[in-house]
Amino acid sequence: MHPVRLTVSDDRRRSRLTVFFRLLLVLPHLVWLAGWTLVAEVVAIANWIAVVINAESPPVLHEFLARYVRYATHVFAFLFMAANPFPGFVGRPGYPVDLEFAPRERQSRLSAAFRLLLAIPAAILASLVGVFFLRFGLILLTAAGIWLAALILGRAPRGLRDLAAWALGYSAQASAYVLLVTGRYPDSHPDRLLGEQTLPYHPVRMRVEDDLRRSRLTTFFRLLLAFPHLFWLIIWGVVAAVAAIVNWFAALIVGRSPRVLHRFLAAYIRYTSQVYAFLFLVAGPFPGFVGHEAGSPVTAVVDGPTGQRRLVTLFRPFLVVPALLLWTALGLLLVPVAVGGWFVGLGRGRMPSGLRALGASLIRYGAQVQAYSLVVTDRYPSSSPTLRSELQP
Amino acid sequence: MSRAVRAIIVAALAVLWIACAVALWRSSTVPGNLHLPSVHVRSLFTPAELARTARFEGFLRIEFVLSQLALISALVFWAWRGPGYIRESAAGRIGTGMLLGMLGLAVAWISQLPFTVAEVWWERRYGLLRTDYFDAIFGDWWGLGGEFLAISLTLLIVMGLAGWFPRYWWIPAAPVFVAIAALFVFVFPYGSDTHKLRDPQIAADARRLARAEGLGKVPVEVEDVSSETSAPNAEAVGLGPSRRVILWDTLLDFPRDEIRVVLAHEFGHLKRNHLLKALAWYTLFAFPGAYLIAVLTRRRGGMRAPEAVPLSLLVVTVLGLIALPAQSAISRHTEAEADWVALNTTKDPAAAERLFRRFTRVALEQPDPPGWWAFLTASHPTIEDRIRMARAWQQLHQR
Repeated sequence: MHPVRLTVSDDRRRSRLTVFFRLLLVLPHLVWLAGWTLVAEVVAIANWIAVVINAESPPVLHEFLARYVRYATHVFAFLFMAANPFPGFVGRPGYPVDLEFAPRERQSRLSAAFRLLLAIPAAILASLVGVFFLRFGLILLTAAGIWLAALILGRAPRGLRDLAAWALGYSAQASAYVLLVTGRYPDSHPDRLLGEQTLPYHPVRMRVEDDLRRSRLTTFFRLLLAFPHLFWLIIWGVVAAVAAIVNWFAALIVGRSPRVLHRFLAAYIRYTSQVYAFLFLVAGPFPGFVGHEAGSPVTAVVDGPTGQRRLVTLFRPFLVVPALLLWTALGLLLVPVAVGGWFVGLGRGRMPSGLRALGASLIRYGAQVQAYSLVVTDRYPSSSPTLRSELQP
Repeated sequence: MSRAVRAIIVAALAVLWIACAVALWRSSTVPGNLHLPSVHVRSLFTPAELARTARFEGFLRIEFVLSQLALISALVFWAWRGPGYIRESAAGRIGTGMLLGMLGLAVAWISQLPFTVAEVWWERRYGLLRTDYFDAIFGDWWGLGGEFLAISLTLLIVMGLAGWFPRYWWIPAAPVFVAIAALFVFVFPYGSDTHKLRDPQIAADARRLARAEGLGKVPVEVEDVSSETSAPNAEAVGLGPSRRVILWDTLLDFPRDEIRVVLAHEFGHLKRNHLLKALAWYTLFAFPGAYLIAVLTRRRGGMRAPEAVPLSLLVVTVLGLIALPAQSAISRHTEAEADWVALNTTKDPAAAERLFRRFTRVALEQPDPPGWWAFLTASHPTIEDRIRMARAWQQLHQR
């Protein structure tokens, strides 16, 4: 288990008033956090010297920096609406989106000496997804989504809340690593970061049976090897678009997707997920061309057709827009996953499990968005990065 | 089928093949009674020029031989170890074959990297190449992607047919490849990054020459390559409505009478249907080539099995090397004919001779390369032979 553990006890209820004025309400915290950051930077240098010499962080410095990281997480959880209550100013435990720190442990001097260099990949990912030294990533988009939903529903959608919490958790681990609070590299694995939780049933899920081993040769040429698949995917995509239009009319009239069209579109969704998994190094083996489940060890699984609400089907072209927007942003995250996986794959012949799981989670969301837009299901895509989900409705 | 019947069929096919080849060869001609006068290259070029071209091409010859050895070694290695990569595929029989084919190309590309670097270094040293190393190596990365696509399509056809006709896939495969090649020749000009010829005088010359050769309207386009190389070049491309002549912009600095010779030469290719004839030659080689691949890969389960794909790449490459002298001879033969057409059209052997001499000075073409080299690889007659032909034309028309 990672020594910096994220805990989420948020009940997703949001006060419309505090949500509406969230940006103003957080101002005192931002001012206080800025001052705390200045001190933390000086303390971090002292901590760095101490760890390089002693291989251990002095208790006072460790406590101070851990508290700083925890406080920053509280503030950003409040700002980006991953949590509802106004946080305290000293970083005490107990906030709905919180961090737990394991006791101090010895760290490698060599790793500590080169910490800033070693942290670059994690820092890049953290700044792309969450908050890292005042660089904001995807969390801005999730915050906008939660803001809008919370104003209307008085609740934060679970998927967006989980996504924001995951981004904050990863950012916190990256900050703790840079500040030498821990010597453990940040872990992007959604299930490990968000803890044991299972998503509600969705007819489009992800099956990940890949063994993490990567052939260096196929890793080096991955982009070019995917060319035939991308070419085939484009051709299939054109036909699938036509099939989706027919499917839309059919679902509108009979209230469910005809079996033949469902089978065809499900195969297309599976195939797309398999090609993405191969292209972005989430899977090792070269996938098949027909979208069978056996075509790749990392694949979307699509359940059979069920009834679809006609009203949802009628407005599907509009309803899908927010999910498509989010997918556009989440899909871009596959690029750092692939770049990171490419370098590690070439060096070690393996894909880091955290990156693999993150990639699988992103592809799962893409598959669910695809299924929703192609009228394969009327279940809205879940943006939660958690991979585990219930298998029965 | 008894052995005797089979032998008779094979013999009949061989005779038919030879008859087609002879007819095709004879369809491209320069006058048989032409007396080529002897030319002393030392009287045409300074010793420094001859030494420079000899040095330049000498290095490239060694580099070529070594690169072919490296290529064969890499493909032997791939034929041996490649089947192990089947575990990297979750695709079916054909998809796995595609993966092994693409990886084979990747291995071949890696084996050629040192030679590419050496060639770039050498050509930059002589001022022929202007691109940097990164561009020269990775600039055509997408081109490699195109090759990956092409080999995937090829294996899709071959392995698909081999699934239906395990022993005789090569019979339907050969015409399919000829059709694809014809389609490629037809479509290629539409994908070229070229622009219209802007010089009105050269454009007028082109129209005049095309008319003189009875070609009607043939577009002449320019490809901008001067940022990459200083070497001059031109080519006739396309079939039917897509046919055109493409000039590299490096050629446009040449004197106008020499550009006329180039244009007439390229129109000569079109007039004598050299692209169609090239397709006919391809057809002739495609059948025995595909047959040999089918036979030589049988020990690995034939082209139906993905395990045979790495070996088939080696077979194709070796067959290509064996056929190289024949391919070069055919190319030289048609180039000689195009030279002859150009001389007849321009009636300007002096300009032709100046052009050929300029090729040596600008493109560093050795006028009299070693015989074995010309025999193996030369796609055009040597500069010496081209000058001899220009002088022979002059003598023929002085009489």
